[in-house]
Amino acid sequence: MYMLTGVTKLHRKGRSTIPAVCELDLTIGDGEWLAIQGRTGHGKTTVLNLLGGLDRPTHGAIELHGTDLAALPETQLTALRAERIGFVFQTFNLIPTLSAAENVEAALIPLRTSQTSRRARTAAALDAVGLTDRANHLPAELSGGQQQRVAIARALVKEPAVMLADEPTGNLDEDTRDDIIALLELLWRERGITLVLVTHDTTIACRAQRVAVMTNGRLTIRRDIGHAPAGFLCPGPIRRSD
Amino acid sequence: MFFVTYLRREMRRRMRQAVLVALGLALGIGLVVTISAASAGVKKAQSDVLSGLYGVGTDVAVTGPAQAPPAPGTQRQIGQNLELGPGGTQICTDGRRCVNAAGHTYNALYAAPLLRPFRTSSVASVARLHDVAAAAGVLTLAGQSITFPAGFGRPGGSPPELTSFTVDGVETGHTPVGPLTAATVSSGHLFTAVDAYANVALVDSDYAAGAGLRVGSAITIRQVRFTVIAIVSQPQGSNPPDVYIPLARAEALGTAFKDGGSLSHDVSLIYVVAASAADVPVVQHEISRLLPGSTVTAAASLASQVTGSLASAARLANDLGRWLAIVVLIAAFAVACLLTMGAVARRSAEFGILKALGWRTRRIVAQVLGESLATGIAGAGAGIGLGFAGAAIIAAVAPKLSTTAPSSAIGSLQQRPAARGSIHPFASHAVSVPLSPSVTIGVIVLAVILALAGGLLAGTFGSWRIARLRPASALAQVA
Repeated sequence: MYMLTGVTKLHRKGRSTIPAVCELDLTIGDGEWLAIQGRTGHGKTTVLNLLGGLDRPTHGAIELHGTDLAALPETQLTALRAERIGFVFQTFNLIPTLSAAENVEAALIPLRTSQTSRRARTAAALDAVGLTDRANHLPAELSGGQQQRVAIARALVKEPAVMLADEPTGNLDEDTRDDIIALLELLWRERGITLVLVTHDTTIACRAQRVAVMTNGRLTIRRDIGHAPAGFLCPGPIRRSD
Repeated sequence: MFFVTYLRREMRRRMRQAVLVALGLALGIGLVVTISAASAGVKKAQSDVLSGLYGVGTDVAVTGPAQAPPAPGTQRQIGQNLELGPGGTQICTDGRRCVNAAGHTYNALYAAPLLRPFRTSSVASVARLHDVAAAAGVLTLAGQSITFPAGFGRPGGSPPELTSFTVDGVETGHTPVGPLTAATVSSGHLFTAVDAYANVALVDSDYAAGAGLRVGSAITIRQVRFTVIAIVSQPQGSNPPDVYIPLARAEALGTAFKDGGSLSHDVSLIYVVAASAADVPVVQHEISRLLPGSTVTAAASLASQVTGSLASAARLANDLGRWLAIVVLIAAFAVACLLTMGAVARRSAEFGILKALGWRTRRIVAQVLGESLATGIAGAGAGIGLGFAGAAIIAAVAPKLSTTAPSSAIGSLQQRPAARGSIHPFASHAVSVPLSPSVTIGVIVLAVILALAGGLLAGTFGSWRIARLRPASALAQVA
């Protein structure tokens, strides 16, 4: 699915250069769930943006099914995001003036499908996240957990190959966090999508197939949960949703 | 439709800003509409004044060269004349037979004293010129009737009764040029060719109202009875004659002021229509060569001689008004652009989300342009309404515009008695015309175009910002 080779992202601020990501080599398989951990400001979100084509690396290549995202012109990159990549953000990022259904439908606009098709797919996506009865509510009328469910539905409605989630539970309480993660896990299992989830929460990271850690822009792959290195602990028993 | 839904919701969310931008555009457009309406009203007032002077469609007017007034005692005594005799005021006929004025009526009908008339053959010569479409001659006369009571001149006697009126002798066939082209017939009918030698008259509506005349009434001009066949009205400010009679009858009854001589085959003014507007200068030149010494005046040049508050209003509308409207429009456009750019900046995160969802830049730009155009259309509607209101206010409160007829030869010929009863027939006159602003379809279309242009300009400035937006940077603003 993804092959990152020597990916570096530098931010220039005045005369100084700040490395956000340094010489990143990473392979993510189809249908894999990869969690990326790390402290704030160490490059987790930058990696996600690079994987989603929201940003371009300063050096290196990011291949998605053989296509180098870094070399694509902006229009093709935009089209790729429209068709194959779904995003879930920490702050939900819903359009405040559109209802839940319209927010989900917004993800289908670039695909130029018919209004009938869009509405059918929107209804199915909201049903998948259990929000059919909230379809006509504005984001301000929804709880945090409900807003994040709408965001998940918006990411899934286009049936993407990849879902990129950036701290999806960062603004939620503990119970809601567990519900959202369980939902993401369920959808991952049911649909076989490739899920890359950024989190600083070890409890959530432990549920993934693989865990990577970003430290000062450098990524270190932890082995599978079953082969955790010394010093790497997952709190409590491993929970997997079936 | 998603586009309309999103647009509508966004407009509602930013209602205050949208209203502000729309009001700004409305103010500029309303000013443009009001000033255009006022300018149209001033032009119409000018046109009414000029068409009244010249008649509709006249391009050039020709008057004869100036002539010196007669020296006292040198006039030939033809027709009736008032003289002071040993017994008092006398009415003398042909300079010989004189009677005491008491108990008698003095009648006179004479042409302009200061301008030499043309022969009617000159009219035909002018009409035959290459670039002339039509020409017609008019004989302008002033009439007086003084009735002396029986006891006039004796102690306790009554004063004489004076009646003055003006007469135009006009061609009776159908002519596309002349003083009657702008006239409206209230009742009756205009002259026809068969009336060329008939004692029939057209009477101005104001004069008819004052004298109690209607179609079928009789009026006496120099002791000849004429039958009124029509009541006519001329445009506001045109100062028309009281009576129109056939040219041949005017020539027969009128006398030259200088020597009392005959006016047979004479006209005092020639109206000319050029083949096209571009031919007017050529026509002027050709007539000047054909009739040396004559005064050839174009209608366009006469417009520049119109003085008074009408001229001031025209300058105000054209100069100050136009520039004021332009400045306000530019300010409105600038405000719209700035506010739209600010709104786009505040929505950077939202546009970053849309880009993350795969929306192309032009799709987002179309959304922003749609919102700007919607605001522009609202501004157009409000602006047109403001313009109509402004025009209505001007019509309600603006004083009548005054103008003084030009002092050129044509003006002096067209000068009518300042008041009926005056013994000086060619006093100058001032005219008052109402200012009637009018909003035309063209101005409304212009207003809509301006509003859409303002909306597009504002949207374009905002769109430039969207095009440069990087999704990662925009989303970072939310995190």
